[in-house]
Amino acid sequence: MSTKAKVNPAVATQGPTERVEKIKARFLATTPEICAERAKLITESYKETEGLPMTTRRAKALEKILMGMSIYIEDDELIVGNQCSMPRSAPVYPEFSCEWLEAELDRLAKRTADVFLISEDVKNTLRKDVFPYWKGKTNQEIATALMKQEAIDAGNAVVYTVGNYYFNGVGHISANYGKVMSQGLNAVIAEAEAAKAKFDYADAHQMKSLHFLESTITANKAVIAFANRYADEAERLAAVQKDAARKAELLEIARICRKVPAQPAETFQEAVQSFWFIHLVIQLESNGHSISPMRFDQYCYPFYAASKDSMPAEKAQELLDLMWLKLNGLNKVRDENSTMAFAGYPMFMNIIVGGVDREGKDATNELSLMLLQAAANTKLYAPSLSVRIHEGTADVLYMKAAEVSRMGLGVPAFFNDRTIIPALLSRGLTLEDARDYGIIGCVEPQVGGKTEGWHDAAFFNMAKVIELTLNNGYDKRTAMQVGPQTGAVTEMKSFDDVMAAYTKQMEYFVGLMCHADNMVDLAHGQNVPLPFLSSLVEDCIGRGKSLQEGGAIYNFSGPQGVGVANAGDALTAIKKLCFDEKVISLPELKEVLDKDFEGAENIRQMLVNRAPKYGNDDDYADEIAVESANIYCREVNKYHNPRGGQFQPGLYPASANVPFGGVVEATPDGRKKGTPLADGVSPIGGFDISGPTATVNSVAKLDHEVTSNGTLLNQKFHPNAVKGEEGLRNLIAVTETYFKNGGFHVQYNVIDRKTLEKAQEKPEEFASLVVRVAGYSAFFTALDKSLQDDIMSRTEQVF
Amino acid sequence: MNWREKVLDFDNIGDRGEGLKGLVFDVQKFAIHDGGGIRTNVFLKGCPLQCLWCSNPESLASKPEITFVTNNCIGCGKCLEVCPAGAIRQGETAGEDIIIDRERCTLCGQCAKHCYAGAINIIGRYVSVPELMQIIERDRKFYEQSGGGVTFSGGEPTAQPEFLKAALAEIQKRGIHTAIETSSLLPWEIYAPILEHVDLVLTDIKHMDDAEHKRLTGVSNQLILDNIRKISSLGIPVKIRLPLIPGINDSDRNLEATAEFVEQLSNVQSLDILPYHRLGEMKYRQLDISYPLKGVESPTVEHVEERIRALRERGLNISVGG
Repeated sequence: MSTKAKVNPAVATQGPTERVEKIKARFLATTPEICAERAKLITESYKETEGLPMTTRRAKALEKILMGMSIYIEDDELIVGNQCSMPRSAPVYPEFSCEWLEAELDRLAKRTADVFLISEDVKNTLRKDVFPYWKGKTNQEIATALMKQEAIDAGNAVVYTVGNYYFNGVGHISANYGKVMSQGLNAVIAEAEAAKAKFDYADAHQMKSLHFLESTITANKAVIAFANRYADEAERLAAVQKDAARKAELLEIARICRKVPAQPAETFQEAVQSFWFIHLVIQLESNGHSISPMRFDQYCYPFYAASKDSMPAEKAQELLDLMWLKLNGLNKVRDENSTMAFAGYPMFMNIIVGGVDREGKDATNELSLMLLQAAANTKLYAPSLSVRIHEGTADVLYMKAAEVSRMGLGVPAFFNDRTIIPALLSRGLTLEDARDYGIIGCVEPQVGGKTEGWHDAAFFNMAKVIELTLNNGYDKRTAMQVGPQTGAVTEMKSFDDVMAAYTKQMEYFVGLMCHADNMVDLAHGQNVPLPFLSSLVEDCIGRGKSLQEGGAIYNFSGPQGVGVANAGDALTAIKKLCFDEKVISLPELKEVLDKDFEGAENIRQMLVNRAPKYGNDDDYADEIAVESANIYCREVNKYHNPRGGQFQPGLYPASANVPFGGVVEATPDGRKKGTPLADGVSPIGGFDISGPTATVNSVAKLDHEVTSNGTLLNQKFHPNAVKGEEGLRNLIAVTETYFKNGGFHVQYNVIDRKTLEKAQEKPEEFASLVVRVAGYSAFFTALDKSLQDDIMSRTEQVF
Repeated sequence: MNWREKVLDFDNIGDRGEGLKGLVFDVQKFAIHDGGGIRTNVFLKGCPLQCLWCSNPESLASKPEITFVTNNCIGCGKCLEVCPAGAIRQGETAGEDIIIDRERCTLCGQCAKHCYAGAINIIGRYVSVPELMQIIERDRKFYEQSGGGVTFSGGEPTAQPEFLKAALAEIQKRGIHTAIETSSLLPWEIYAPILEHVDLVLTDIKHMDDAEHKRLTGVSNQLILDNIRKISSLGIPVKIRLPLIPGINDSDRNLEATAEFVEQLSNVQSLDILPYHRLGEMKYRQLDISYPLKGVESPTVEHVEERIRALRERGLNISVGG
């Protein structure tokens, strides 16, 4: 247990202020739009800088954007800084990819999920001033040119998708926010200046480093100038403001924006504002998602402590709530296919509280509880909020987390120090760095400010490999032989034969996926280095290298397996029914699957009800699920990326389980053609009929250390199951037991089915209903209907 | 061994085999309303009472039973083919369900075995204490973490006294908390040795008026009330459970009488009000029997609170829903 003074839970009981409610209401009333400013400015800049080193061009482009974009301060705001010309809108990043946007431009406002309005003016600007310039120049097109045709074919067959970083920036990072708060960007500039001395301009490679360092200086200076634009704006507004209280607030905003992020912050508000500028600019520069603040309760604590005696508790909570609202204002437009996999306007910005500190002691402090309270106060889908649990987790934190969990917001997610710290040690982190981990995006652990983790490198469709194993590598949908010929089902005489074929298919496709990832990785290094972000991640300045070229201390690539439960249950059904009990032969089973169970519903029922199922603490099914996952993980572990780092597997889907299921034929787990796959490491929805303890026991049998890129378990509870203090204790007991048994992550949905059904019927009445989809929160009504149905079909554990 | 494996073992349904076995009709994990913490509930089949509101009608008979769930039937006709006793026939009109002749049925389980959709089920499996322990041990860590354990329910668990006693003794020996949910309707000389292995008793008082009790449950309440007094004198912790059935036992007079009785006891942790619900109604259909409380509505939260206000005012520790 902690040796520090006990944390008083009373600090985290302040409800939302009127200011917070007003800004939230304004946010909810705003429909996202597309903003063309960034696209226009970067296109102009690229035209001006042709022939310069790419890193220089990137810095100059960022400078042009930050100086040229519209800025504004909204009524009631205390923390300032906007991403687009309109609130909640999304900028365009043509340098990464824009073919899809050009094709989908007229459909953005009409699509089923994540709608974006777009004006005719914006369309004209994009069509006239932006798209023509980028033909053949985007990172996506350059990456495609590097790839083997086989890798593209397997991608088209949706055995995997490397789409995230193929179309977008990488994101998935945590910068050194604490360093900016405590030292300021002037210190970063000084560091870069000093580093220049180490490099010899006569050496061609070292000259490249000098170009990089110069670009970080340009970028950092641009960010400071950007903050000063807000100071100017605040002063302008103050001059015309009649209300004395608001005038004083504006003058305080102006003072703060002159000071941070250039100089060290001293007060809590200065620290939050400094954080916000950094976070915002990283987003504007990089076009990624999952840019994660991580351990805000740790690095911001000194500033909170410095201010707390001179600031009412209500004010401190309000600043955090306002930061929450700011985070919700960030947005990103994705292509239609990606929207299927990442639905609900998610940005996956993960803030994590608790856990141990670098010395291994409990790190819970007042801010840990107040950040949980901010989620309760705002009740919005961002940021993703997580809690680290270890043996000595303070009871006040556990109870507060369980209380917020019970509210049905889908947050916080619980993470297990006892599994994750050893997992990170096995990947080469120092003990102190491993203890200092946070979470990126959904469930991916890393140490912030030192890692380029490429955590969402790809999604890999494990159920598709089952289909291809049964079809000798032939993909019916694309009518192509995409995989190796590993034998027809008529030649498979034993379950071992089936497993051998599955393993060979897996080897082949994991190899192709890692190749495809590496080609996208190379393209990022060549075309879209990010000088500002790089300057805030160790040891890019020291090495004179951008993040995208291997400047970070730790480098990984993490592709995710999706459909563990389907692969496991499919193989289990084959073993049990085709080989153990011999009630149906494998060729007969394949025939039934080829017809999508048409005229054979009784066979489908047999597959569903007579074969053991993963998720019920049944060793027969669980062992096969574990093995089918291990085969994937072993293959992924073999590969390295061009940044000098290792591939590490994860098992989580975001919401890729829905589109992935869409391209998979009927499978032996009884799943019909085109229906969704299971989510994360969770059992197949509706098959986990033995209750949450059995599910937790089953899932804990997976090796959660080798999957160091993260695993995800969603559990849904009926409100009855968690009512009263005893209900909270039960929720903690389930979490604690899962974690003692080696689990990695779990989060709870506390909601009843009726509410979801009503929300489907009357979305307008449920606009603020937040629900958890595979590792992130989103507005239920923003989801595609197929996803809503998927959420609703998961077994409700009602008692 | 887990419960599902046992359920899917259709070839040995009637086989009581060697040694002591109990007739179990369900094992429920993560039970959280039956004795504190996270528990495993073991439901024993057979009950000497016939309460009108019983929500587990499949628990009443002390032998396995066949049930039919209309919604699950996919009309494959396999059951008609495989029944060696000719006890299943197709309903006469088009689209009608199959009809089971329960007199002819020998409970051989072949129809259920081939009913992959789970429309036909045989309720009840004979389980030995070692088998049961394997199931129970799987959740041991949850009991330890939450202060939970194992609860025997039913049916009436004490209707299988030898098995119950042996199972409770083994569970207790292994350091797991034990509870029984019982009507307390059994001779004290049988009850007492069972209670030696029980850490918590959940026992019902369905009506204080003996005549009413007979009308509602088929038996007198005298033995029940005597037994509860005796448990009190032994000091075993007890939760009294009161199924609250609108218009049947929720009169002021009965509630007051119940409260007076409870107040005389020395070992009561709480008085648990279990509001009537209709979740059992569909099971009656599956057993081809009619529902005795047809038309009685589940009480609203407000109604329950209004009815028990007086109990709360007396200072009793009341919980609603267990």
